Amino acid sequence: MTGQLEVAGLTKRLAGRELFAGLTLTMAAGEFVAVMGESGTGKSTLLNLIAGLEAPDAGQITVAGQVLNGLDDQALTLWRRRALGFVFQSFHILPHLSVGDNVALPLRLNGQGTLAASAIALEMLGRVGLAARAASMPTELSGGEMQRVAIARALVHRPTLVLADEPTGNLDPDNATRVLAFLAEQVREQGAMCLMVTHSHQAATVADRVLRLANGGLHAA
Amino acid sequence: MKLLLGLFISSLRRRRFAAALSLLAVMLGVALGVAVSVVNRSALDEFAHGVRVLSGEADLQIVGPRNGFDDALFAPVVLSEGVAAASPVVELDVRLPGRDSPLRVLGLDLLRSIQIQPALRPETGPTLDAGALLDPDLIYLSPAALQRFGLSVGQTVRMQLGARTIALRIGGVANGFGAGQLAGLMDIAAAQWRFDHLGRLTRIDLRWASGGDTSAARAALKALLPPGLQLVPPAQREEQAADMSRAYRANLTMLAVIALATGAFLVFATQSLSVVRREAEFALLRALGVTRVELLRGVLAEGCAVGLVGGSIGVVVGHGLAAIALNTLGGDLGAAGYFAGSRPALQFDLLASAVFLLLGLAASVLGSWWPAWRAANADIAPALRSSHQPMLPPASVHRRVAIVLAAMAVALAALPPLQGLPVGGYLAVACVLACAVVCLPALAHLLTRSLARWPGLLLGLVRARVAATPSHAVIAAGGVLASVALSVAMAIMVASFRDSVDAWLARVLPADLYVRSAQGAVAVGVEPDALKRLAAIPEVARIEPIRHEQIRLDGGGLPVALVARTVPAEGADRVFPMREMRPCSGDCVWVSEAMSDLHGWRTGQQVQIPIGGGEHRFVVAGIWRDYARQSGAILIDLARYQTLTSDMRANDVAIWAAPGVAADMLRERVRALFGPSLEIASAELIRRSSLALFDRTFAVTYALEACAVLIGLFGIAASFAALAAARRREFGMLRHIGVTRGQIGTLLALEGALVAGIGVVGGMLAGGAISVLLIFVVNRQSFHWSMDFAVPGASLALFAVAMLGFAALAARLAGGQAMRLDAVRAVREDA
Amino acid sequence: MQPLRRRMLGLIAAAPIAPIALAAQADAAVAYPVVRPQRLRFPEDHGAHPAHRIEWWYLTGWLEAAGLAPFGFQLTFFQIRPGIAEDNPSRFAPDHLLVAHAALALPQAGHLLHAARTARSMPGLVGASVGDCYVRLDRWRLWRQADDFKADVDAGEFMLQLAFGPTGEPLLHGEGGYSQKAPGAEHASQYVSLPQLPVRGRVRVGERVLAVSGKAWFDHEWSSSLMHPDAAGWDWAGINLHDGSALMLFRMRRHDGGALWHGGTLRRADGTIQHFGPSDIAWQVQREWRSPRSGVRWPVSQTVRFADRIISLAPLMDDQELDTRSTTGAIYWEGAVRAMEQGREVGRGYLELTGYDKALRL
Repeated sequence: MTGQLEVAGLTKRLAGRELFAGLTLTMAAGEFVAVMGESGTGKSTLLNLIAGLEAPDAGQITVAGQVLNGLDDQALTLWRRRALGFVFQSFHILPHLSVGDNVALPLRLNGQGTLAASAIALEMLGRVGLAARAASMPTELSGGEMQRVAIARALVHRPTLVLADEPTGNLDPDNATRVLAFLAEQVREQGAMCLMVTHSHQAATVADRVLRLANGGLHAA
Repeated sequence: MKLLLGLFISSLRRRRFAAALSLLAVMLGVALGVAVSVVNRSALDEFAHGVRVLSGEADLQIVGPRNGFDDALFAPVVLSEGVAAASPVVELDVRLPGRDSPLRVLGLDLLRSIQIQPALRPETGPTLDAGALLDPDLIYLSPAALQRFGLSVGQTVRMQLGARTIALRIGGVANGFGAGQLAGLMDIAAAQWRFDHLGRLTRIDLRWASGGDTSAARAALKALLPPGLQLVPPAQREEQAADMSRAYRANLTMLAVIALATGAFLVFATQSLSVVRREAEFALLRALGVTRVELLRGVLAEGCAVGLVGGSIGVVVGHGLAAIALNTLGGDLGAAGYFAGSRPALQFDLLASAVFLLLGLAASVLGSWWPAWRAANADIAPALRSSHQPMLPPASVHRRVAIVLAAMAVALAALPPLQGLPVGGYLAVACVLACAVVCLPALAHLLTRSLARWPGLLLGLVRARVAATPSHAVIAAGGVLASVALSVAMAIMVASFRDSVDAWLARVLPADLYVRSAQGAVAVGVEPDALKRLAAIPEVARIEPIRHEQIRLDGGGLPVALVARTVPAEGADRVFPMREMRPCSGDCVWVSEAMSDLHGWRTGQQVQIPIGGGEHRFVVAGIWRDYARQSGAILIDLARYQTLTSDMRANDVAIWAAPGVAADMLRERVRALFGPSLEIASAELIRRSSLALFDRTFAVTYALEACAVLIGLFGIAASFAALAAARRREFGMLRHIGVTRGQIGTLLALEGALVAGIGVVGGMLAGGAISVLLIFVVNRQSFHWSMDFAVPGASLALFAVAMLGFAALAARLAGGQAMRLDAVRAVREDA
Repeated sequence: MQPLRRRMLGLIAAAPIAPIALAAQADAAVAYPVVRPQRLRFPEDHGAHPAHRIEWWYLTGWLEAAGLAPFGFQLTFFQIRPGIAEDNPSRFAPDHLLVAHAALALPQAGHLLHAARTARSMPGLVGASVGDCYVRLDRWRLWRQADDFKADVDAGEFMLQLAFGPTGEPLLHGEGGYSQKAPGAEHASQYVSLPQLPVRGRVRVGERVLAVSGKAWFDHEWSSSLMHPDAAGWDWAGINLHDGSALMLFRMRRHDGGALWHGGTLRRADGTIQHFGPSDIAWQVQREWRSPRSGVRWPVSQTVRFADRIISLAPLMDDQELDTRSTTGAIYWEGAVRAMEQGREVGRGYLELTGYDKALRL
């Protein structure tokens, strides 16, 4: 069952309100799932729960055989750095590191040496078409380029699962299409799972499966 | 005004931590300045009051050598034209055996002193008749003296007189002395007799008849005075006391000012960072119609509020500190000698309060100026965009400014002292500090670049961050630099001074044992036949008496010490460490560096020195280093001194043991001869107690430095606290991608250490330069002390490491909120 | 004993620490010589007798200056031997204390102008010479030169530069100068006067310098004895009578106001001397003046009956009180008086009244 995401009976209350009530989600290895929903339905909370950044009130989350429940912050963090990749709406590229160093960051966190990490990062940047910009500072990039760098960073250490939170939210439509296609392509190429939450119907088209988050549960769109 | 309050000053409440630190920094700076000033003022006032009490309504005083002058002068002075009243005075400091505080014994002719010092009179007990006032066995003690020494009226009090002690009965309380003055009143004839001062007066106080103070009358009076005696108004003696300690006081005040300057850096740091964070807010205000000037004023008002509140608290705290200092350290703040034994009452110092409150205000306003200017002149449009990333402007290196400042420092250091104060030296110190601050961005660049090769992910992250935002580093490091520079400079100066004093003591204390007749009670000494008995002890190989006198040279100025010691034929550098020397032919003296600084005396020069009531010619045969007497000292051969003065007594006696005699044995023998009351000390003991005294003198400066360092660390804390919020997203992302909480903490600590490291390295360099200024300019000009440069490497290294450690801790604590989990969620736009 | 006390009031006025108490010290370590009848020699006995406990030179008199009403003056030098630490070799050793007191009684001033100096003896500055009269206290001096006595006193507010003489024969009170003051032979002094002494010189009052002349009375007295325990105070008068005779009268009063002792001397112009004992004299108060400052009632006008004569004493002005209570506790009246006999002025002199506020505690 390697490479599978299993969310069972997930319950989360937030400020007295029941956000999720026994939510269930299963993803197969290499699957790209898009989750849509109104604002305030808990899309980001879902991602946080799966990333282990928040703890559920009930239910169990298993990622590639790793049960998250019961892990402490330290263990979760170490798991996260190995198994997860993130793509954020506002990129979150460290402005004081070069493009290459930003991409190399997850590798360095996982204990790679500087040289090896740089080489792999460069190769990864080559795959997103930005090899020439490795030495540039993030401020010199456009928004689309920035998100490509973020995608490179999310995948460079070959994570099991990529969590993407409105990855096109800060991009114009043209750029958004390109970046989405690119994300899907890269994820698939590596055989990773990707769980993306988004507002955008257009964005959802790149997914293998689209789910709708409403009334505390996930429903097929 | 309401708008101002609502929009700006209330923002201080939103950033309570940083604002509180700024406030604390300004408060500390102001408090230190006020405290130093209040203590000085209180001590000076007390001294002046003491002088005034003792000199009463005197218009003029005839003063001369400390050991006194011939009392035959009195009759002609009384009869001199225009003199309405004259009061002869024998003033002696004596010690009670086993007690540290000296007692000032005042021998007065009460029948005459009543016309000049009417307040000074005994209050006789009910059983005593007035005739007891002339009783040579009675002394009247001030209330403070009775209290300090635990004595009461009617008791017998013993006093050290050279090698022997005398007993006097306490006849009653002496009225009119200042609170805290340890004094005793006696009949003048009794004082002369009992204290071995027959034929000698130490002072004559005079009052002019109305209209008697004419130039002719002054000339006639002056013509009566033998060489070495001077006619001075009492106020001049107050001034001289102020002069004597002025350099020391100025140095302390400068330390307080530097602490305040460090505080200004801190205000600058927090205000800059706050302005950056509020860019969008300001842009909105501007868009809504707030003018540039209003914005500028608003930000300045924040600084003003910090300065005003911090300064006001500082004034109160300063007085509190002063009260504590006066109680625990005394009026000279532990520095021996300036106001020995004084315990002045606290005085409210309006002037110092006002000045330092204004300085505190100025520091905050100056610290806010650049941020305010930047806020007012920022572009509105980009700051309004939601994707706007607030950034400090890049720090630029003003190479030319740095070079000009360095050149100015060198030029200023070369200036001569202004009214005895090393003004040029102080300004040069300021220039060095400013230069160092200007060079900080370059230093930050240099340091981060040199760290590039160092391995480690977190270090790399930190290095990249610091290298990319040098402005932040500079802002946070500025305060550290100033305080470290101050501390390093003082540490090097004090170490150099201490080493030199230690070496000097080893040179001036060659004998095995020293007999000292009561420190601080210099006029009375060991009599010649006691010396003979001492020399006759079989265990004693030889003795060398030392006599201390204080004389006044023509042309006024502070009294000069005269040290009479046997100067061996082989050379005077066996007595004192000579800086320069020439063979002596004829009548020679050797003078201290202060003499050459203050009076321009050079080797080979012929000088006139009033000794023993006559003016005598001497050749200056050498200049020696002296750490004991900052207003100058003259070494004269003891035999020559005794011929000129017939003063055969000695204050100290150096004793060499006969071969094979143990130190303890020798001490016992000497003790048996002189009894238990005389101080007998080995060279080692004197050395140790002198160094202890030295250390106590500098204890206060350590306190001031510690405060400056604390303020510098506040700067680190404040800037990290200010940035923590701005960096929540950064840390949040890092946490997402698997950076642990501990790693974030380490990251902050490392960053704090690196930023502080920039300040520390800059501070070390600047401090080194400043220490050179302190040693070769400030100290030389203030105290006329030369010393050998010595760097306390180990202590400085320890200090640097401690600074980095503390900075790391401060940064980590202040940035702590960035590590909280809710910060992690901040990464999500719709969290 | 009484004039002794009288003069010591000067001390009280002058001294900040009441050296009067010094002179009264009974337990002094030195043995003072006791006054005995003896033959006095002059000018030697014009000089000091430093072994005695107390000695004074005392000048009073009436002066006249052009355009000014007659006025009184008084000048006293006391020498006291405290008998303390006389083995102290210091130049400042208080072997003797000198007290000087000067006063002017100017009717237009309405009260006394007075000044005082006190100092310990010191060679060349303060002291009284042995062998002839030379007394000095800083710049204040009294000395004999040829046949004259001279006084030079600058008190700031006023100044006296006076020459007294020719002196004539000294008037020796009692037995050749041995003058008893109270019951008991030990209460006595050596007492010499130079009455009817012509005086001339200069007096400065404020800025005004006056050429003056007049008649003075010079007393010189020394003793080692203390005041009689029953005595409360005394009245004393020394009068130059216009007929050329000189009259000295004193009364020692008991605490109850009654007389303890009386004494007096009258020397006629022809040189014949008449001594009066306790039974020959009676004092009677004519008029009292109440001092508005102290509230003390002073018998400023008194009638004295001696032998067969009655002379009443009328003050030049009422207020000749010297109040030194703030410094020493003593208050007394010492002033210029006219002597009236049968409604006529027959002489001028000085009257001294003490012990009217309370008994002098000596």
